[in-house]
This record gives sequence, C-alpha cells and structure tokens, in this order.
Amino acid sequence: MIKNPFAYLFSCLFVLAAHGTMLINIFYNGKYDDIKDLIILAAAVLGLDISYYIIMLFFKQYTYTIDFMLLLILNMSVIFQSCFGGVSFSAKHYITCIAALTACRFGHMLTCNHNWIQQQKKYVWIGIGVLMIIILIFTGSRSMWINIGSFSIQPSEFMKPLLVLACATSITEQQKKHKVWKFDIVWENIILFGITAAVCLFQWWCRDLGSIPTFAAIYAAGFFLRICYPKAKFSNKTLIIAGSVVLVAAIVGIKIAPEYVKDRLFVDIWSDKDGNGYQQSQALIAIADGGWFGKGPGKGYLHNVFAHESDIVFSSISEEWGLLYAIMMTLVILLIAASPLINPPRSYYHGTMCTGICAAFTVQMALNIFGSCNMIPFTGVTIPFISMGGSSMVTSGFMAGMLVAAQSPVFRKPKKKKSKKPANSSARRRSAA
Amino acid sequence: MKSIRRCQHIITIFLLIFIAGMAALVIKINREAPFYMMNSDHHELGMVYDRNGEVLFDGQGTGQYPDNYFLDVGNLIGDDKGQMENTLVARNIKKLNNYSFSEGLLETGGQAAIYTTLDHYANRAVYDAYAGARGCTVAYNYKTGEILVCASVPSVDVTKGYADIANFESGTLISKAMYGTVPGSTQKVSTVITAMESLGRDRLLAKSYNCVGRYLNANGDYIDCHNVLGHGTLNLQQAVENSCNPYFAQLVSDPDLPLENIIQGYRRMGYAVNDDKEEYFNIDGIICEKASTTLVDKNEFRTQWGCIGQGDTLVSPVQLMMWQSAVANGTGKMTMPHLIDRVFSVHGNITQIAKTKYGDKICSEETAQAVRQILLTNGSNNYSVSIAGYNVGVKSGTAQVKEGAEENSLLVGFLDDARHPIAFCILIENMYSTTVTTEQLATVLLNALCS
Repeated sequence: MIKNPFAYLFSCLFVLAAHGTMLINIFYNGKYDDIKDLIILAAAVLGLDISYYIIMLFFKQYTYTIDFMLLLILNMSVIFQSCFGGVSFSAKHYITCIAALTACRFGHMLTCNHNWIQQQKKYVWIGIGVLMIIILIFTGSRSMWINIGSFSIQPSEFMKPLLVLACATSITEQQKKHKVWKFDIVWENIILFGITAAVCLFQWWCRDLGSIPTFAAIYAAGFFLRICYPKAKFSNKTLIIAGSVVLVAAIVGIKIAPEYVKDRLFVDIWSDKDGNGYQQSQALIAIADGGWFGKGPGKGYLHNVFAHESDIVFSSISEEWGLLYAIMMTLVILLIAASPLINPPRSYYHGTMCTGICAAFTVQMALNIFGSCNMIPFTGVTIPFISMGGSSMVTSGFMAGMLVAAQSPVFRKPKKKKSKKPANSSARRRSAA
Repeated sequence: MKSIRRCQHIITIFLLIFIAGMAALVIKINREAPFYMMNSDHHELGMVYDRNGEVLFDGQGTGQYPDNYFLDVGNLIGDDKGQMENTLVARNIKKLNNYSFSEGLLETGGQAAIYTTLDHYANRAVYDAYAGARGCTVAYNYKTGEILVCASVPSVDVTKGYADIANFESGTLISKAMYGTVPGSTQKVSTVITAMESLGRDRLLAKSYNCVGRYLNANGDYIDCHNVLGHGTLNLQQAVENSCNPYFAQLVSDPDLPLENIIQGYRRMGYAVNDDKEEYFNIDGIICEKASTTLVDKNEFRTQWGCIGQGDTLVSPVQLMMWQSAVANGTGKMTMPHLIDRVFSVHGNITQIAKTKYGDKICSEETAQAVRQILLTNGSNNYSVSIAGYNVGVKSGTAQVKEGAEENSLLVGFLDDARHPIAFCILIENMYSTTVTTEQLATVLLNALCS
C-alpha cells in the first residue's frame, strides 16, 4: 500500500509539527478570552490531521505529496480563519475544509482513468450547461449566489473544474481535422471556444466579472496545448492571432464594462479611501501594520472590514501572522500547483488537466492578492483553500484531487495473452540467438 | 514525453509569472509601507527641530513647553490633525513616521526627525514685534537658500487644538508668505529689471520723466502719484527712491519699451501673464503661489497700474524675497529657498541633507548688479536711520487692497553683509490700523538674526 512508510511517517510528523507550531504561537502570542477556544481549535486541527492520515492509507496512490500539502494548507486556513479578531473556532470553515478533502477524493476517483473520463465528456458538457441554466434561473443578473437557508452556493465556481475537464477530455480530438473550404477545422475546438465564451458571458451577466480571467486562463492553457498536439510546435502566427484576439477582447471588455467595474479599475484608492478604495487601502495598511512577523494571531484590525476572510484574506493573514507567513502560505499552494513538475503527469490528458488547474490556481491567487494590494484591479475572487466559502473550497479540493489523479492514474490493465507452446523449440532457440 | 514536458513548461510559465508578481509585491510593500501607515488612524510621529535644536513640533506630544511656545510657527510647521494641509508636517508626515516594516510602529525609541533651517528665536522675535498687527515676514540666506524666519500673524498654537476654530481670524491657519498678495511698489523692482533687460542699463539710466503729481496716459486715464505736488523730472534712481508712479507709468508706455519685451521679462521672472496657466512651486512640499499679472496694452491704465504693483498683480512674499536673492547675489539667478536642513530616519540615520539650488536666471549679471546698486543706494539714502546699523538694499511698497478700502505696507530687501547674507520681505496688513512699521520689523528681524 505504501512503498516508503518512513517517508509517509515523516510527512505526517511534518504536517503535525507545522500545525502544532502555529497553535503554540497562538498560545503565547495570540488573543483569546478563554483557553478552551484554543483547545477546541487544536483538537479539531490535530484530529483532522490524524484522521486523514488514517483515511489516506485506504487509497492506493503512487504518491501522497499533494494530499499532505492539501492537509497542511487546509488546516492552516482553519487556524487563520479561526483567529481573525480573536481566537474562536470557525466550525463553518472547518466543515468546508472536510468537504474539500472529500471533494479531493472524488476528484481523484473521477479523473484518474483517462479512458473512462474521456468517454464521459458529454456529461461534462451537460454539467456546464446545467450550471448555466441554474445561474440563469436562480442567481439573477445582479448576483452570483443561490441562497438556501443559511447556506449560499456560487454555481459558477463548479464550472472551473468542469471547464478544465472539458479542455483535457477533448485533447485527442485534435487529431480529427476536417477540411472545410481551405481550413482544417477541429469541431471540438469550436465547441470548446463556444462553451468558454458562453461561460464568460454568463459571468458577465451575473456580475461575477472577477472569475472571467480564471476561465480565460484555463481555456488559454488548454488552447495552447491543443494547437501543438500531437507533435507540432507552437505556431507564431497562431500565437499572434490569439494574443491579438485576447487584447481586443480585453479593450472591448473595459470599454463596455459597467460603471462600478470602471470605478474599481481606475480608482485612486488613497484619494477615495473611504469610498471605492476602502477595502484595498485598509488591506495595505493592515499588511504594513503587520510587518514581517505580524501583530499576533487575533490581534488584527482588518476583521472589521467587509470580506476580510475572503477577498482580502491575504492582508488579514499578513496583519496577524506577518507577511512572511502569508508568503509561506502562498508557497504551499504554489507547491500544490507545481507538483506536476516534480511528479510528471502520466498522460497528455493528465498533463492538460494539471496545466488547467495550475492556471486556475495561480490566476485566482494573483487576482486576489495583487488586486487587494492595488497592483491590479480589485476583483474580489477567492484564494484557493484559504478564503472562506464552501463553493470555492469544494471546487479547489476537487481540482486538487484531479492533480492527485494525474500523478496516481489508473491505466487499463493489459489483457493477458494466452501463451502458445512453440512447435519447434530448437528453431526458437536459433531465432533468439 | 515531449508533450508532457510542454505541459510542464506552461505550468512553469504560470508559476514564474506569479512568483515575479509576488516579488514585486514584497518590494512595493517594503517601499510603501510607511506611506500606508501614515494613512492609518494609528501612527507615531517624530520631532521637528529648528536650526539650533529647539523643538518646533512634538510628534509624541510628551514634552512640556511654555504657553504659546509653538504659536509663531503654528501655521508654518503645522501638525498631523488635518486642519492645515499646506504645512511642513502635513506635507512631510511620511518622513516623521516612526515606523519600519521590520519593527512596526515604535511608540518609544523612534528617531525620525526633521531639522529645519528656521531660527525659532528670530521667528518668535519677529512674530512678537507685530504687536497686534497682522501680516507676515519671511527671510532667508540668499547664498544658501535656508529659510531663517517665516512668521505669519495671526497663528495658532497647535498644542491647544482646534476646539475654538469657529472664532479663528481669517488667515490664522495659513502661512501668508506662501500666498499671493498685492505687492504695491515693491513690484517696481520687477519693472526695473524687465526694462533694463529690454533697454540696457545705460539707456534706462539715461531716461528721465517728469512727474507733476499725476500722469494722464494715452487712453485718458490718470495715474496718481503719492506726492500730489509732483516730483519734477526724475531719473531711475530718483524714481525708485521716491517710488514715483507717474515715472513708471511713462516708462511702461515708452515707445522704446515694447509690451512684448515687458511680458517676456515678467514671464522670465516667473509671472503668469494674462491667460498663462497659474503655477506653483514648492518649498519642501509646501505649496507656494507664483506671481501673476495682466499686461494687455501698454497705454491702458490696468497694464500700467499692474507694472506699478497694484490692480490685478499678485505676488507671494516668498517670491518677492527670492527676486531679492537674484539681485543681492549679483548673478541674476534666484536662490531657491528650503526649510528642511536634514531628515533622520526611524533608526537615526540621515536620509536627506539640504543642498543649495538655484532657479532660472531672471536677468543678466549686469542688470542684477545695477539693480543691486540702486536698492543699496535707496537703503543708504532713506533707511539708514530707520534700519540703523545695517547696510541694506531695500524697496518699500504700499498696496491697495479690498478695492482701496485698506492699504498694506511692504518692504523687500537684502542685507549687504557677507557674514549675514539675508534677503527678506515684510508685509503689514492694513497699515493704518497699527503703529508698527516695516522698518521696525526689519530692524527686529536683522537684530535677531545677526546677534
């Protein structure tokens, strides 16, 4: 089951030590009214660690690297989210983390067999279509949420792994070119472009413009890998045309963007720090206030600002834990995204999937971190695994599972051929010689 | 395997772009963190000192000071309360920030400080000498550009807060030296410089005009002289000494002096003429208005009146003082004033040291030296008693304000002393409401600075 038990044990201890160190930091430097709050948090975090170590043993994989890093980052986020403004166990975020771990297992199981998933690609397209209909009917044109009781679901989040799958499962179709007039057409490419365009239009319609770059990046990654499949090199001509189309689309997008989007794009946050620039200016002040090592868990101010746990979570963490810690947290997510560089994907389908997921993770992180720090327009997307939000957590967990699948795939077992006894054993010996 | 490697290349590109962005973010935050903190509600400020180490602003508010100790510098040095924006502290608050990204806010032990060029003793002496009068005095070292005195009356003691702001007099919260005022006859120095640049020194000195108490210009408007009996025929030196309006009106309308040359000369000195865009210069961040005037038709009353220093013409006392530096130095180049001598960081390291800077050349050396001599002669002939003991080159002025309802008194000049190269501008508002004179203030100023 486990090839190297020592490595497994060491990884377990490493993750436990990392979370333990954070909890000790809270004990000495954190702000908590009652030690019970910290004990509950510690029990939940360490309990989840140990439980998952045991659960992982039941899954046969080539490598558990992503699982350990996923557990590391998820429980880090539980600790972060439980500390904003004072230690208080964030049960809601804890549940979403467990959901993310579960989604990871599902992601692995659903995508590890490339033959099977490619046969199911029509369901992937149907899934995207169903989500679009759900958005159309339930969210309305000014919202991206469906509220069910005390829960809110963001259906557009679930389109991310589906779009990754749509790109990856259609990769082999690249070989099926059809001559139409003077052009070689791959029908699936056109369908995929149509799907992506429709997804982006839906995002526009329901005012979730921040997600458009993520979808565009997933499609772009898939597009580049398709146009050079199976052997062709990147065509400069194609790249220039594609780049020009993206540029024109971006300019047109900005031109026709709603006023509130333009306000966000071009706001001078410091001259409007009580208006449109409020969140960003407070986020930057919080990072400066935290310095390298932070003010201490629970001792921040940013928890008073709207979306401190999601849109500007990087600043919230920087303020309380320090910029160094926030960078280390980012590094863990980067390592998850970079894992295909260490453990290469086992097929081009899996490679395309990994590239799409890496694109989604890095673009989402960039939009969140650089946007909240006023380096690019502020869009309000989430950081995978860190920001509060069930839809985002489950989706990110599922995509992590897809990465696991790329490194621990299931290939069709070769059929055993019945061995025939050679008629003339001496002739066979000669032939071998 | 090649196709898998292609996937890895694209993943690497995504990661590298993100890492580069993170590196840029870390650099940006490290550089801009003090600015962010200054925009927060919680910050720790350092001190501002005068040239002798006397406190002018206590950022921590922990020191004990006599009553009204900061009154004379209140509207120049300011504070961080946000009531006064055009002050040294407000404009340089980032430099006073006792914060570093690695150590955070330092409630104790922070060494951020600004050492100014101001002489608190002299500033206080001048401020007190106003004795109920209103106005401002600014003086600086015309060799180095160090502002030594910049007192604007009335002012505010920042330690007392702004609870009574509704009862503050108009002009309390600004340093009047930075804002345009009608220059009166001190403007005639500019007109002399402009005319001499256009006509040449000898030609201008050779010109004389007759004053009969008033001058009827070509458009049929009168320019009155303060001497209703008239000065008779005057040359340039006599006209400056007598501050004769008809002489300067005739000089402006002289056919040898084209209007275009006057306009060019004024622009070279920094005036915004007619519809020129109004500009500003800054003294260590403090915004100072530039001069402006209207010159349309040399035979028209408004143009002649503007060249005499009335009507539409506005000049800040600081700029009047700066022109004196160009004359006093004899180079035609203005010495740019500065208020900050050196800045110390939160860790006590010097991060900024003042350097002497010069502005554009407003006139030739020949013109500067000739005007210098005219002003010195005026000083020795007319001010040797009232400003006793100092060899000064000066020009006085009376400015009509509030549509002639009030008159302000001005005195611009310089001290011809290699040990104390001081240029100054003194303004007393509503001069008939007080017994204080500009000469008295000049004496107090020079006594305080040269003692």
